[in-house]
Amino acid sequence: MLKCTLNGREVEVKEGTTIIEAFYQNKIDIAHYCWHPGLSIAGVCRLCMVEIEGNPRLQIACNTVVTEGMKVNNQSAKVKEAVKWGLDFHLINHPLDCPICDQAGECGLQDQYMKYGQYDSEMAEAKQKKHKVVDLGPRVVLDSERCILCSRCVRFTDEVSKTNELGIFNRGDRAEIGTFNGKPLANKYSINTVDICPVGALTSKDFRFRQRVWFLKDAETVCTGCSTGCNVKVYYNREGLFRVKPVYNSEVNGHWMCDEGRDVYKFVNKESRLLDARVVSGVKSEHMTAFEAAKRVGEKLKGAGKTVGLVLTGSYTVEEYEAILSYFKTEVGTDRVFHWINNPESFEGFDGLLLRGDRNPNTRGLVQAMQKHGLTAQWKELTEALSTGSIQTLVVAGPENQVWFPDFKVKVAELSKATRLIWMTSGKSSALDELKGEVTLIPMKSYIEKSGTFVNHTGRAQTIRPVTSIVKGALSLTEVVTAFRGEALQGSEVVPGRSENEVGRGRIHNEFTLSRGTW
Amino acid sequence: MFKLSEDGLKYVKSELTRYETKQSAIIRCLYRAQDENGGWVSPEVIQHLSEVMEIPAAQIEEVATFYTMFNKQKVGRYHVQVCCTLTCGMLGGRELTDAMMKEAGCKKTGETSADGLFTFSKVECLGSCDTAPMLQINRDPYIESLSTEKAVQLVRDLRAKAKGH
Amino acid sequence: MAESKYLTEHYGKPEYCTLDGYKKLGGYQVLEKALKMQPQQIIDEVKASGLRGRGGAGFATGVKWGFLPNNGEPRYLLCNADESEPGTFKDRLMMERAPHQLIEGMIISAFAIKAKKAYIYIRGEYTGPAAILEKAIAEAKAAGYLGKNILGSGFDLDLDLYIGAGAYICGEETGMISSLEGLKGQPKLKPPFPAVQGYLRKPTIVNNVETLAAVTYIIRDGAAGYRKYGTEKSAGTKLFSISGNVNKPGTYEVPLGYKLMDLINIECGGMKPGRKLKAVVPGGSSAPVITAEECERATLDYECLAQMGTMLGSGAIIVIDDSNCMVDVLSTITHFYHHESCGQCTPCREGTGWMEKIVHGIVHGEGKPGDIDLLLKIADQMKGRTICALSDAAALPVLSFVTKFRDEFEYFIREKKSKVRGGQIYAQMHA
Repeated sequence: MLKCTLNGREVEVKEGTTIIEAFYQNKIDIAHYCWHPGLSIAGVCRLCMVEIEGNPRLQIACNTVVTEGMKVNNQSAKVKEAVKWGLDFHLINHPLDCPICDQAGECGLQDQYMKYGQYDSEMAEAKQKKHKVVDLGPRVVLDSERCILCSRCVRFTDEVSKTNELGIFNRGDRAEIGTFNGKPLANKYSINTVDICPVGALTSKDFRFRQRVWFLKDAETVCTGCSTGCNVKVYYNREGLFRVKPVYNSEVNGHWMCDEGRDVYKFVNKESRLLDARVVSGVKSEHMTAFEAAKRVGEKLKGAGKTVGLVLTGSYTVEEYEAILSYFKTEVGTDRVFHWINNPESFEGFDGLLLRGDRNPNTRGLVQAMQKHGLTAQWKELTEALSTGSIQTLVVAGPENQVWFPDFKVKVAELSKATRLIWMTSGKSSALDELKGEVTLIPMKSYIEKSGTFVNHTGRAQTIRPVTSIVKGALSLTEVVTAFRGEALQGSEVVPGRSENEVGRGRIHNEFTLSRGTW
Repeated sequence: MFKLSEDGLKYVKSELTRYETKQSAIIRCLYRAQDENGGWVSPEVIQHLSEVMEIPAAQIEEVATFYTMFNKQKVGRYHVQVCCTLTCGMLGGRELTDAMMKEAGCKKTGETSADGLFTFSKVECLGSCDTAPMLQINRDPYIESLSTEKAVQLVRDLRAKAKGH
Repeated sequence: MAESKYLTEHYGKPEYCTLDGYKKLGGYQVLEKALKMQPQQIIDEVKASGLRGRGGAGFATGVKWGFLPNNGEPRYLLCNADESEPGTFKDRLMMERAPHQLIEGMIISAFAIKAKKAYIYIRGEYTGPAAILEKAIAEAKAAGYLGKNILGSGFDLDLDLYIGAGAYICGEETGMISSLEGLKGQPKLKPPFPAVQGYLRKPTIVNNVETLAAVTYIIRDGAAGYRKYGTEKSAGTKLFSISGNVNKPGTYEVPLGYKLMDLINIECGGMKPGRKLKAVVPGGSSAPVITAEECERATLDYECLAQMGTMLGSGAIIVIDDSNCMVDVLSTITHFYHHESCGQCTPCREGTGWMEKIVHGIVHGEGKPGDIDLLLKIADQMKGRTICALSDAAALPVLSFVTKFRDEFEYFIREKKSKVRGGQIYAQMHA
């Protein structure tokens, strides 16, 4: 460990730590645009200037390693003047279109301006004209005039996605980022470039113009898009979720997440959801609360034994699996529990960065729970049992993300051979709506509405907490079991909103410029 | 679609192993391809080089747009690059360019004359300040110690030469 | 004192650029001597000679070589023949007239620093000199001066030519390294310095053409012999590129410490008839301008010019007479740096453009009262703020022109016309 002094405060850092890392580790503000802990050092924005005792020249904190006894200051008049000018140099060719810019509210330039600027620009000359509204790819739009050429996005495609689509073309103040000859920025991680863009140059097609960021709350959770379990932050309001961004976790996803994971929120919002329970019996169809429907099902399940089967997907929490498996084993009296693997041929796949073929957040948790309860039934036994009629009542839980279950419709057809079918899922589906016979559909809570644990592919347990309520009356599997038993629910798990602390952080800082997870 | 000639392809292949990394061959290969493409580097040129050299097109585009000697737009047969920096600027390089452009029938720098012969650029110091004002046509040897009269005559001579062929 | 033809002794002889002619005039004899020395002896001799880099920064060559780590990694010698500082053209002369002189200097230097691979990076516009060098390298290879086991010494050296494509910034040593790596010529962050991690992240020494050529003479005559020329801290001779309003512009070799006015009046035949000296840019366009009065005191060595707040730089002297409008002269310089800024670092990318727009505005009669102070503020904030020195190089001429010729700028802003040239309208850089 080395001792150094930051703004008069003595701190200890590991050998090899750069000054900017030392500032971050000690939660001392330092301005910067181009530095990002997940990328190589570019040293081009020249904003992280610090004064080092004994050195007459200001140095950049991102490329200077701390040495024993170093005395560093980023609050001196000299540094403040340099940062103020650094900001002005960034702003002279930047359009002042904040009222129509999606980055407003989480923009590095705005944040710095509020801290160091607040003056009238002295630039009276015409600004450099560049390309506007460039369709970079399926998910990203570029406004070159807003770009401050920090090169984060280019470094991302060179170093992280290793897809090399982006470049900085031309030189000097004519330089612009872009792809070659309109070739699309179409890698599976493209929205990360939007996240790390400190200004509004790169915006997400999915999110742009949909909501002002200061009207959104945010909360941390875990992505349910695959078995990696990326740590994420969801942004939401009363209407539902608007976007998902990654949260730094060195053990899981580093700084990034995949584009498909960003879409997970779409399955959570009301328009994709099963809103109330439905009990179909022949031509009769009755709507009711999830609790009521589950209670009725429970009355018939109790002690029904091996004529009952249970199909589970890897979408639920460890706690939910425990509740439902115990119930089925001991109270229903069946061990006919089947694991529905959605895409057996690509289940073990991995794209080398984050995305896994297993598109479930908790396959590992399900497998462990089944092992614990000694449940070893194979899918083919279910197929047989359905054709011989030895399983008459089938309870299905999931999937929560139907789009990633390519066999969904096929399975609905197959499983509907059961005399009585109880299907529990959070998502609506025409295949389920069209089912005939004895069918009960029970709306489930999404991962945003419940608490519990997901075990990712490495065996790492990660906790989720309720964020907001989207479908009133939807249940978790644990709550379904309570209803099966005919017991009363213990109040709502959902605690909408978030602490003031969380609100403030999102609003004041652009987390991707100033802080990100632990950075 | 642009494709290198057989010789050009051989040249590119040999340049790829000339330096420690194949990226180092980009500049020479761009020159070659520019020459074969009538004096400019079109997107097709970059796409083709990217495939032949197995280097991402964005990287080649970065190089092609960073250096001034690669023309990203069509130029005339004679790309007249007149130095206008400091000494050449002081000694009439800018005025001389304007006079030549008038003679050639070009209204703006970067614009090619109607006969397809001339494109003018005001360029930065070419390292021949003792013989200012001076210019370079394409990548040919420098034409030095000019006066406006000599420069205008040069345009006439080149036009005559082109017509003669 | 007068011109001292030391490195340029045989430049007048056309045969000097061929291998045979070069050898007849004593060429490659020093190499034979050097290959029998210990590499460290050569480094020590170069250190003792006081040779300083002739490309612009004036850093002591032997000291630079001493920064190489002894970690067994391959190292590279890179000759900077980008010669892009406006006003400079002496390296072109050296390569045209004496390509083998450079090659011999490079072989000796590579032997000293134990490099097995060397490159000459030549600017793309220099197609003539490049062809001469290609031929000379082939001759030297065929004669066994390059390649395996040079002259039976056991030393191997491969030398190749790399051609640029039009970018001032490639004269900056790490910009040159980026360019050599096949990238945009953008300077690299320092540390690490090239001597530690340069080309392909391996130890690399970058020296100017004239510097490498001088090494041969230091080994031939010994450090003491070399030091017969020049001053204590500015040893040796230097090739000066003189251009502008003098009667005989050209390249002249004089000992360091030579009087600027002697060079102008004696070697260059003085000013044009009826014209008076107004100012001199003494070390390439980035060197702060000095007034006629300052010129009287100036000697051509690193110390004197540094004391005067300017620099010897690449030895490019631009002589400006009283027919020139300093606002107009500065406008070509600000245009140059705006055009050449690589665009990585924000203060330089944005500052060069901003300054050009302001100066351009003044020249076109659109100047505003606050422009002068704003220029000074911008330039001041561009100094020492960036990865490489281009930002400083762009700021220094602005600071010096505006400070020393403020009256011309004020007049132009106030009267919307040049104090010197009156209502004459200038041709524009952007037509």
